[in-house]
Amino acid sequence: MLMELLYQSASSRPDEVALVYRDERVTHAELVDRVERLAAGLAAEGIGPGDAVALLLPNDPTFVTSYYAISALGAIVVPVNPAFKQDELEFYFRQCAVRAVISDDRSAGVCERIVAAWDEPAQVIPTSAAHGQALTLDMLMATDPARLDRRSPDEPLVYMFSSGSTGRPKRVARTHGQLRGESDYYDWMGIGPEDKIFCTIPLFHTYGMGCCMVAATRTGATHVMLEDPNPFLLRRQRALELIETEGVTIYPGVPFNFRLMAEAPASADLSSVRLAFSAGTALPRPFFDAFLDKFGVPVRQLYGCTEAGTLTANLDEDPVATFESVGKPVDGVEVLIEDDEGQLVPPGTVGEIAVKSPGLTSGYSDMPDLNKQAFRDGFFLSGDLGQLDEDGRLTITGRKKLLIEVGGYKVDPIEVEDVVVAHPQVVEAVVVGVGTKVQGEEQIKAVVVPSDELDERELIGFCQQRLANFKVPQVVEFREEIPKSPLGKILRKYLI
Amino acid sequence: MSVSADIEQFILSELTQGRGITEIDPSENLLSKGIVDSHGVMELVGFLEERYGISVGDEDLSPENFESVASIEGFVERKRNGQT
Repeated sequence: MLMELLYQSASSRPDEVALVYRDERVTHAELVDRVERLAAGLAAEGIGPGDAVALLLPNDPTFVTSYYAISALGAIVVPVNPAFKQDELEFYFRQCAVRAVISDDRSAGVCERIVAAWDEPAQVIPTSAAHGQALTLDMLMATDPARLDRRSPDEPLVYMFSSGSTGRPKRVARTHGQLRGESDYYDWMGIGPEDKIFCTIPLFHTYGMGCCMVAATRTGATHVMLEDPNPFLLRRQRALELIETEGVTIYPGVPFNFRLMAEAPASADLSSVRLAFSAGTALPRPFFDAFLDKFGVPVRQLYGCTEAGTLTANLDEDPVATFESVGKPVDGVEVLIEDDEGQLVPPGTVGEIAVKSPGLTSGYSDMPDLNKQAFRDGFFLSGDLGQLDEDGRLTITGRKKLLIEVGGYKVDPIEVEDVVVAHPQVVEAVVVGVGTKVQGEEQIKAVVVPSDELDERELIGFCQQRLANFKVPQVVEFREEIPKSPLGKILRKYLI
Repeated sequence: MSVSADIEQFILSELTQGRGITEIDPSENLLSKGIVDSHGVMELVGFLEERYGISVGDEDLSPENFESVASIEGFVERKRNGQT
């Protein structure tokens, strides 16, 4: 269904720019041509409806092309963080039963090692033949283009993974209809073909996928991608230049990046930016003030989740007075605040945020028991805490779930614990977040009860092999026992 | 200790604590592998300025100068020689 939007843009404004990346400008017509060619190439390799295809790519036109080619075939996109280690990649690949992996050159080798051990190996398709692979994305792109059929709204389009309160991340399937539903929010926000959306956030994440890529597709706006956006400190000057030279009008970002831009010695004319959004974590007031003082642009908070995409946005006429709020629900979204018994609470009272939206998933894949707890009467119990004011503006006050915020990522301590306790010399372990000197940032600390003498570096190396770098504990504390309540509940507050 | 070894030692002891990294090849890409993030760059800049008496301006904060230990070494040498 998103493909129809690409066709509309290619028909109505074929020569206008859809994507900007480095010196490359891809028009709407060119983007459709690329998508059709790659889809035809993938189809020739046997990729079809229901097949899961992982994307291990940075933010670039190839990601966008691949995403739409895969989904237009009725196959399912599985965007994966390229920073993941082999064990994590294997988890995601197996969870989704991927049929193929489209990978950048850097990750192709590890992908091949993973799938080689499978009974039915998946196909690894690198972007180029850097390692002498027989089949590359470039080759598939040489296929003759073919018009793509409309997909059914109920067909799954993408598998994402959501952090949870227990165990490994949970698979979230969202359909063509749900992504199309989310895409309408951006049109409702007033984003249009004359807009230019600046992307510095990963497209493999729901925020980047929705607020940048899908938003551009739905509205016909130009999607301007910052190349190699991490670490952002080394790219902030380039980011400022791009915003100014391209005349960016919409900038979805994260708090830390807004802070870095405000602290940059050089300035830039950001007067073209009419909507700057911040999401992912709370926007500290000093960051908001610094960015506003320097550039005259108020950063508005936005709220969403992996399960539903964007949910609320602060489009208030007075973004300064309302800066703490993530805004009102976007068109079609309902937000309720409930107490622990599931009863609605009055405005001004904190409770759990429950949401219902056209973009909301039907549930976590293959987890019926969890779905009974997390979904009720069409609403999703987010695990976030917040309150509504008298005018319906939402403010996030905390999290019901235990997640550690590390460098912009939300790390599930249970996932890290599972890895730590898998070490043969670990009897018990608890993972907590501990504060650092940087506001809003935490470190991961593992409190471990060893069976006998255990070297910290060996334990860290064990984790390093199995977890992405940002999930590896930075602090290890050995104890003889973990503090618990009389009922056996772990007393995490004594471990921080 | 060479500049290269000095830089490697700083990164290992200050920026990759608890991550099981015991050595870094001079040509290894620190950025794409997530070995050094924005916070790490800030700390690295502080170290370079103090250790080598150079001034790192915002215009110097580029992937080309911080991509690898070898890149950083080259950057430091150019700074010390007044070439940048």
